[in-house]
Amino acid sequence: MDKSTIVCKCEEINIDEIETALKAGACQFDDIKRLTRCGMGPCQSKVCTNMVREIIAAYTGEPMEHIEYPKNRMPIKITRLGVLVANQETSSVVSVFKESVSEVDTNG
Amino acid sequence: MEFELVIIGGGPAGLMAALTAAEKGVKTAIVEESFALGGQLRQQAQVLENLPKEFGKQSGIALAKFFSNKVSSIGVTALLGHTMIGTYRNGTIGVSNGKDTFPIYAKKILVTTGAAEQAALFPGWTLPGVMTIGAAQILLNRERVLPGKEAVVLGCNSISYDIAKQLRACGVNVQGIIEKKSIDEIDKELIEKFESENIEVFFHSNIEKAAGKQHVEKVWIDNDVLKKEREIDLVCISNGLYPVTEPLELLDCEFTYIENLGGRIPKYGSSFTTSNSSVYVAGNAAGITCIEGILVTASIAVTGILEDLAILNNIEAKKQKEILWTELLKAETGRYSKVHDARISLVNDFLPKEI
Amino acid sequence: MYINDHPLLESEFLEEITFFYEGKQLIAKSGQTVAAALMGNGIKVFGVSRKLQQPRGVFCANGRCCSCFVTIDGLDHTLSCMTRIEEGMQVFFNGGDPVVGRGGSGI
Ligand SMILES: Cc1cc2nc3c(=O)[nH]c(=O)nc-3n(C[C@H](O)[C@H](O)[C@H](O)COP(=O)(O)OP(=O)(O)OC[C@H]3O[C@@H](n4cnc5c(N)ncnc54)[C@H](O)[C@@H]3O)c2cc1C
Ligand code: FES
Ligand code: FES
Repeated sequence: MDKSTIVCKCEEINIDEIETALKAGACQFDDIKRLTRCGMGPCQSKVCTNMVREIIAAYTGEPMEHIEYPKNRMPIKITRLGVLVANQETSSVVSVFKESVSEVDTNG
Repeated sequence: MEFELVIIGGGPAGLMAALTAAEKGVKTAIVEESFALGGQLRQQAQVLENLPKEFGKQSGIALAKFFSNKVSSIGVTALLGHTMIGTYRNGTIGVSNGKDTFPIYAKKILVTTGAAEQAALFPGWTLPGVMTIGAAQILLNRERVLPGKEAVVLGCNSISYDIAKQLRACGVNVQGIIEKKSIDEIDKELIEKFESENIEVFFHSNIEKAAGKQHVEKVWIDNDVLKKEREIDLVCISNGLYPVTEPLELLDCEFTYIENLGGRIPKYGSSFTTSNSSVYVAGNAAGITCIEGILVTASIAVTGILEDLAILNNIEAKKQKEILWTELLKAETGRYSKVHDARISLVNDFLPKEI
Repeated sequence: MYINDHPLLESEFLEEITFFYEGKQLIAKSGQTVAAALMGNGIKVFGVSRKLQQPRGVFCANGRCCSCFVTIDGLDHTLSCMTRIEEGMQVFFNGGDPVVGRGGSGI
């Protein structure tokens, strides 16, 4: 297949970029992610996971069951920042915001 | 908000479980991302032939309606437009309704997030007009708009058979099914079904590429003998399903990899309890199966939950689970026997003493 | 194109509602998603990708792929396949990432 074919449609990473990351020493999805942003788009690798894993399997010659999945992080679905901090009582994000606000306050 | 049982996902598995739990007086909530209950049944116009006896034969759409009416009349709290997006440090689930994020406390959590469709790689697959076959089915039967007029379908399987027929009934010209495998690797019965409907299947073929300026206009079908160029405005990808398990990952459930269940799958025991003892899984999230299997796995999980909540005693629960596992075996014979075998070995590995 | 007489389903009376796409008044059926309302009016390209500015539209119809972003009533990057159309809604093409840098310069 044409190496310029897009694999990760959010971040628009193609086969060539993934193979280059593999050549540079990446072994698993999360390595490729750190090198290329592949899988870090708004869908958070929901669409590209298995296609990238297949490319890794073909490159390394390992069976698919040995190819790791990217780690899921919160929030698992696209969420606006304002929604995350909306509930002041329960939000942990808010405390981080408050810290930075108070820092600004004390530093003048 | 506080409940005894919180169910993540209001598809057939979640609804079946909610009904049974609520009938036994369990304070139950369903967290559902979409604006309606029913999950992926809401667009399935085909008649589901092998439903458990009490449901008779009906379409997925009718079954979704039946379930959602029943659930709202029985006092289950349906949180529509609510998505589980994470967990707090103490393991409480975090839910967003698009305006606010808040915790929902639950004694037991049942994850029934279903399955998602696998994409397929070829140059041009990101163009508008290239979509999963389920997306085409949603547009056609739930939204009642035509997804295109001239179509090809990638993948010869029972879902693509049902949906290709539905597309054609609505006036879409299905130019053919493109299948990577050769003819002798595909179920004979399925091939005959396509033949009797006069839908052409190109075996041992692939989409070499799709192209178009703003929208897909053409595909190149490639096989050993010929290259065919087709003018189309719809490419439907039917490349299989995989379990949706992100919430289970955040709930610290252990995972394993089982090809025959759809790939990465949470470990679970004979009551569908995961390695996190307050979290259960059922439906397609616990391994891709048929609709009967989806409903029975939900019944088993609820039996386990009722037992854990001391609403059913151990002896009753054990008896019920035995009956249900026999039903599951019956549902998963034939085409789904590999699924069942994989399930049994997963369960045996989880708690060797229990079964 | 809207399917008026669906050969497989019971006919349903759905109220017509009006909405706006890029300022132009269009008709949808109540209960439809924004994505379906657009496709029902022959609009299949909803926006462009963030890096290469390539066309995007419906892919999964299930809120997973994020290909169907549009701007709805001033809120950019809204999933059109998960949002129901409402009377008077203002829908716009998704022109890419918003400018988020200091002072709007994007740097
Ligand atoms: C688009 C599509 C079309 C399909 N068509 C067919 C078909 O024609 N024939 C067939 O046999 N099978 C089909 N399937 C397979 C489908 O998985 C089963 O038919 C069945 O619906 C699975 O039931 P379930 O209860 O396990 O999950 P689902 O019916 O998928 O229900 C899961 C529910 O969970 C919700 N959910 C997911 N994540 C979250 C979250 N984080 N927070 C809150 N809610 C969440 C979803 O919105 C959904 O309503 C299709 C699948 C898809 C994706
Ligand atoms: S397709 Fe790769 S992150 Fe969305
Ligand atoms: S089409 Fe995939 S998120 Fe809307």
